[in-house]
Amino acid sequence: MKIPIAHKSTQRQQRFFFLSMIVLFIPCMLYLDLNYMQFKDGLSRIPDIVYKMLQISFDELPELLAELLTSVIVAFLCIVISVLFSFILAFLVAEKTTPNRVLSNVLRVIIVIIRTIPTTIWVLLAVASMGFGPMAGVLGLLFPTVSFLVRVFAAQIDEAGKDTVEAIKAVGGTWWHVVFNGVLPSLSTTFLAMIAFKFEITVAETVILGMVGAGGIGMLLQDYISFYEFAPLMLGVLTVFTTLFLMELITNQIRLRIGRRAR
Amino acid sequence: MNIEIKARQRKTKRLLSLVFFVAALLFSIWYIEFDLIGFLTGIPIFVRFLTVDFFPPNVSDVSNYVRPVLDTLAFGIVATFIASMVGLIIGFMMAHNTTPHPAIRMGLRGIVSFSRNVPFLVWASILVVLFGVGSMPGIFALIIFGSGFLSRVYAEAIEEIDPHTMEALDACGATSLQKLKHAIIPQFIPGFISWTLFMFEITIRASAVLGLVGAGGIGSQIKQTMDLFQYSKTATVITIMVVMILVVEFLTQRIRERLI
Repeated sequence: MKIPIAHKSTQRQQRFFFLSMIVLFIPCMLYLDLNYMQFKDGLSRIPDIVYKMLQISFDELPELLAELLTSVIVAFLCIVISVLFSFILAFLVAEKTTPNRVLSNVLRVIIVIIRTIPTTIWVLLAVASMGFGPMAGVLGLLFPTVSFLVRVFAAQIDEAGKDTVEAIKAVGGTWWHVVFNGVLPSLSTTFLAMIAFKFEITVAETVILGMVGAGGIGMLLQDYISFYEFAPLMLGVLTVFTTLFLMELITNQIRLRIGRRAR
Repeated sequence: MNIEIKARQRKTKRLLSLVFFVAALLFSIWYIEFDLIGFLTGIPIFVRFLTVDFFPPNVSDVSNYVRPVLDTLAFGIVATFIASMVGLIIGFMMAHNTTPHPAIRMGLRGIVSFSRNVPFLVWASILVVLFGVGSMPGIFALIIFGSGFLSRVYAEAIEEIDPHTMEALDACGATSLQKLKHAIIPQFIPGFISWTLFMFEITIRASAVLGLVGAGGIGSQIKQTMDLFQYSKTATVITIMVVMILVVEFLTQRIRERLI
C-alpha cells in the first residue's frame, strides 16, 4: 500500500502554479506571433557577425578604458551625493526617528513611485532636462539611488534602534541625541555594507546609461553597434564584462570582511 | 602601551582612507568636469521640468497604449517561461550535488556569468542588429539574461538541499531518478516558484526599458513621445508603466504568500 506523505493542498497549489504557467505561455506565444523567417534570417547572420567579432584588435582599448572610467566616476559621484541626501531623509522616514508621522508616510509613497520607474527612464528624463553628458547621468541616477538608500537605511534604523531610541527618549534626549548618539554609532558598518552593495549595482547601471545619452562606455558601445563595427564592440563587451565581474568579486570580499568585523 | 599603539594605528588608517576618499572625489570632479553649482541648480530645474512639462498627463491616446502594455506582459510571460526551462536544465547541471561532471559545472559557470554580467540592454542592441527592430530581439535578450540569472539562483537553491535526505535515500538503494523525485524536487519547488516570480517582475521592468534600443514593449512609446517633445503623453505612458509594475509586484507577492 502507498502512503501519501506530501502535503495535499500545497501540492495542489503547486500543480496549479505550473499549469497556469503553461496556460499563460501558449496564448502569449501565439499573441506575439514571432516570425519564423525573421528568426531564420537572424540565425544565418550569426556566423558572419561572430567572424567579424573575432577579429579583435586592441586599438580602441585606451578610448574604451577612458570612457569606462567616466562610467565608474558617474556611479561614484552619484553614490556620494545620494548618501548625503538619503542620510538626512532616512531619519525623517524611519518610524523610530521621524519627527512627524504624516511626513514619513508621504515620503514613503514618493519613494515607492520613484523606485518603480526604471533607472534608464530616469536618465532619459535627466538627459532631456540637462542635455547630454555625464552630469545628466549623475542627476538621473540620483533619484532612484536616494530612494533605494533611504528605504534600506530606514529599515535598518527601525530594526536596530529600538531599545536605544527608547532609552534615550526615556532620559529626555532630543531628536539630535537620538540620531547622533543613539542610532548612528551602532549602524555605521551596516550602512557601509549597503553602500558598497548599491555601488556595485550602480556601476552596472552606469555602464549602459551611455546608450541613452548619458556619457560613459555605453555611448561607445552604441556607436559601434550602429556603425556595425563588431570587432571593437567585442572588445567593449569584454571590457564591460570584466569590470562587472571584478566588481562583484570585490564587493563580495568587502561584504564578507564587514560582516566579520561586525561580529 | 600595546593598546595605545593599536589605537594610533587605527587612527592613521582612518585618516588615510579619508585622504584617499577625498583624493578620489577631487579626481572624479576634475575628470568628468563636474560642475557642482551647475548640478545643484540643475536639481530644481529638473524637478520643475518634471512637474511643469509633464503635467497634466495627456490621456487622448490611451487606446494606443493598450497594445504595448499587452506586448510587455506577453514578453514577460514568454521570456520567463523559456528562461525558467533553460535555467532549470543548466541549474541542475551546475549545482555541485547534481552535476554530471565537475568540468561541465565549471564551463557552465563561465558561460552563465558572462550572460548575466553583460547588461541586457547591450544584449538587446546586439540582437536588434541581428534580427531587426521588433519584439524578437527583446524577447531573446530577456531570455539570454534571464537564463543566466535563473541558472545561478536555481543552482544555489539546489545546493542548499538537505544532504541527509539524499543520504537516507542512497542508503535505501534509490536510483538517481527516485532521488530526484523524492529528495530534490520537493525541496527545490518553493525556491523555484519564488525565483521564477521574481524573474517575471524583472522582465516586466526590463521590457519597459528594451524599447529604448528598438526592441519593442512599452519603452518604445516613451522614446517616441520624448523624441517628439510630447512630454504630457510621456507622463501618461510612465504612469501606465508604474501602475503595471506595481500591480505585477502586488500579484506576485500574493502568489508567493499563498504558495510558500
